[in-house]
Amino acid sequence: MHRLTNTILALRALSSGVWVIACLLILSTLLILVRKPSDQGDLQFWVYSPEHAKMYVPMIERYEQSNDVKLDITIMSNAAIQSRMMSGFFGGLPTADLIEVEKAVAPQAFMGPIEAIGFTDLTDMLVQEGLLEQFNQPSLNPWSVDGRVFGLPHDVHPVMLAYRADITEAAGIDLTQAETWDEYFAMLRPLMADTDDDGKPDHTPLSFWYTNQDLIETLMLQGDGQLFTSSGQPTIHTERNAHLLATLVSWCLGPQPVAVDINEWSAAGHKAKVDAVAIGYIAPDWMCSIWKMHVPGLTGKLKLMPLPAFEPGGRRTSVRGGTMLSIPKTTEHFDRAWEYAKLLYTSPQVARELYREVDIISPVKSLWNDPVYDEPDPFFMNQRKGRMYIELAPNIPLRPSSPYNKQAAIDVRDAMGRLAKYAKEQELYEPEQLMPKARELLETMQRQTERRMERNAFAQEDLAPISEDSQ
Amino acid sequence: MSATNRKLNKAALHTLLIVLAFITLIPYAWLIIASLKGQDDFFSGIFFPPGEGFLGIGWDKLTLNNYRALFDLGFEVNLINSIFYSAATALFATFICAATGFVIAKHHFRGRNFITLVVLGALIVPPTLLLAPGYELLYDLGLLDTVWGLLLPLLAPAFGVFLFRQAVIQSVPDELLEAARIDGCSEWSIFFVVVLPLLRPMIGAFMLITFLGMWNNFISPQIVLQTADKQPLSVAIAQLRGVYKTDYGLLTAATVVSVLPVAALFLLLQKQFISGLTTGAVKG
Repeated sequence: MHRLTNTILALRALSSGVWVIACLLILSTLLILVRKPSDQGDLQFWVYSPEHAKMYVPMIERYEQSNDVKLDITIMSNAAIQSRMMSGFFGGLPTADLIEVEKAVAPQAFMGPIEAIGFTDLTDMLVQEGLLEQFNQPSLNPWSVDGRVFGLPHDVHPVMLAYRADITEAAGIDLTQAETWDEYFAMLRPLMADTDDDGKPDHTPLSFWYTNQDLIETLMLQGDGQLFTSSGQPTIHTERNAHLLATLVSWCLGPQPVAVDINEWSAAGHKAKVDAVAIGYIAPDWMCSIWKMHVPGLTGKLKLMPLPAFEPGGRRTSVRGGTMLSIPKTTEHFDRAWEYAKLLYTSPQVARELYREVDIISPVKSLWNDPVYDEPDPFFMNQRKGRMYIELAPNIPLRPSSPYNKQAAIDVRDAMGRLAKYAKEQELYEPEQLMPKARELLETMQRQTERRMERNAFAQEDLAPISEDSQ
Repeated sequence: MSATNRKLNKAALHTLLIVLAFITLIPYAWLIIASLKGQDDFFSGIFFPPGEGFLGIGWDKLTLNNYRALFDLGFEVNLINSIFYSAATALFATFICAATGFVIAKHHFRGRNFITLVVLGALIVPPTLLLAPGYELLYDLGLLDTVWGLLLPLLAPAFGVFLFRQAVIQSVPDELLEAARIDGCSEWSIFFVVVLPLLRPMIGAFMLITFLGMWNNFISPQIVLQTADKQPLSVAIAQLRGVYKTDYGLLTAATVVSVLPVAALFLLLQKQFISGLTTGAVKG
């Protein structure tokens, strides 16, 4: 009794905060205990986008009414999906039955030999059911290794140029006549005058900067710049890449640069868009919904057009971002998971919803006839933008599925930063003048990537002939 | 220095502190105001939405709709989960670390130095490195998607054990323990009656650090927990952020809800927290 009294007295000496935390623990425990536990589904589906989950729920509910099965959707961040998925693949642990994987995450799983990839090879199923031909072919590329497809594409994400038509049309400039970037910049020269004497041009032709990795990659893809071959070999040190690097840097520097640094996501960036600091913006389909929500002030001021090409007759579009739906090998319900995959990724309802909600066009070619894509969009001066994106969809550049692509793209961005520094120091602003330095920087990046790949025992076989080929 | 000068100095100091406090509070004021704005007004003004009201502010545009929408989404479930995980981790981790620290510091037994070395060694292992093996271990133990799977790995942090070991060495004299033993105290009684009260500042500080750590913990619940009903606030808030678009009003309202409990707790524990942090800071 005496000991108990002493202990109570001693515990009373603890601070009030400790007792508050103890009370919180007791209270929250009681609330959790009285809570009704939720039913567990038969299959698990991991998604990283709440918008995707919201679109799938009605479809899944309808399907489950007529089928004795239940699918649980869990929304997770990309980082969590990557950690859980890769831990599962490396450790041979169960993951989910279906996983939606983003472009930056998926290649992590393609690191080893093809038989070690944790996703189910869907190629034979797609061929048997006649689905392979139904998908936009370039959209399958980021999810394929050695011609084998490991995921269904969720999207195409073609890229157009959104421009301030209210300003260009008022100035009597018809930008749709611009077929190349040089023509585009030349047509906009009159709008670059500094009429308000603030030391800056009133408008700059393009929102782009040599530090924006995503935009660099998008434009390099448009210009047929390649970081890896289709078989995963690095091809960073090429004349084409050096030319593109020098060209893009030259846009940002010099006495009258044609590109300006506008943040794509911040409030300051949105204000700059409203103020027409830049005339043109690189616009993948998904960007349209973001602008509609965050920059409503642009409504009725923008128009879309295909990207001007780097050379006459060149590619007029590019690609940015992407998602795939995969079925891990560890699933015990492959057939059911496959049915869900087809339901969600090939259904006209989800495709329609995807376009209406987030302006994304479906990669399923047979769905491209849907009238939803022909609806005029008031945000873009009633242009039928769905149709415009679809027309460009088959021409999007092929993207590699190499697990080293993400780091290589970062390296290229760094190389651009160094090239820009060199250009400023030497006061060299013409692409031709920057080419020798660009070549030198890319050679270094190529070696870095090769060294990185050499650390992967699986990649060494493929790497041996690379150095010779790339020289 | 004359009394007038002293008063002037004090007034100047207070003015400076008030200005600094005001600057510190600006982000919180922004957060609260932003949580009261609708999506259409979110980017219309830095603080208040412009309008026809007093000071050119659209007072009628401020609304509690974001908070209503938040709780319509079932946010209270995540709030309760966060409180439970944080309180449980703070209490149990503090108790376990204090007890372990006491044993390592004051008891002589075989392997004590080895255990101390293991604790010190564990401090240099980056937590990220343990994610994959930790996941596999939890799977083998059948603890994935369970509360225990989340809490167990956090109940005996090496940092806490080492912190309490140092605190015991510094604050608990051997003579006091010997006197308690002579008086017939058991080792548990010594721990509860003698050691814990002497560690009071460190307990407050560590408990707050652990509570905050768990409250803000994002990656562990994402990895270990799968069921939506078990997710804490940090994960639920992250899920409010869309990939294509984000309802910033809702997001800021959720942030306010997540900040308030910890702010209140800090106010309650601030004395212990500060004294715990400064223990040993001055050479005596």
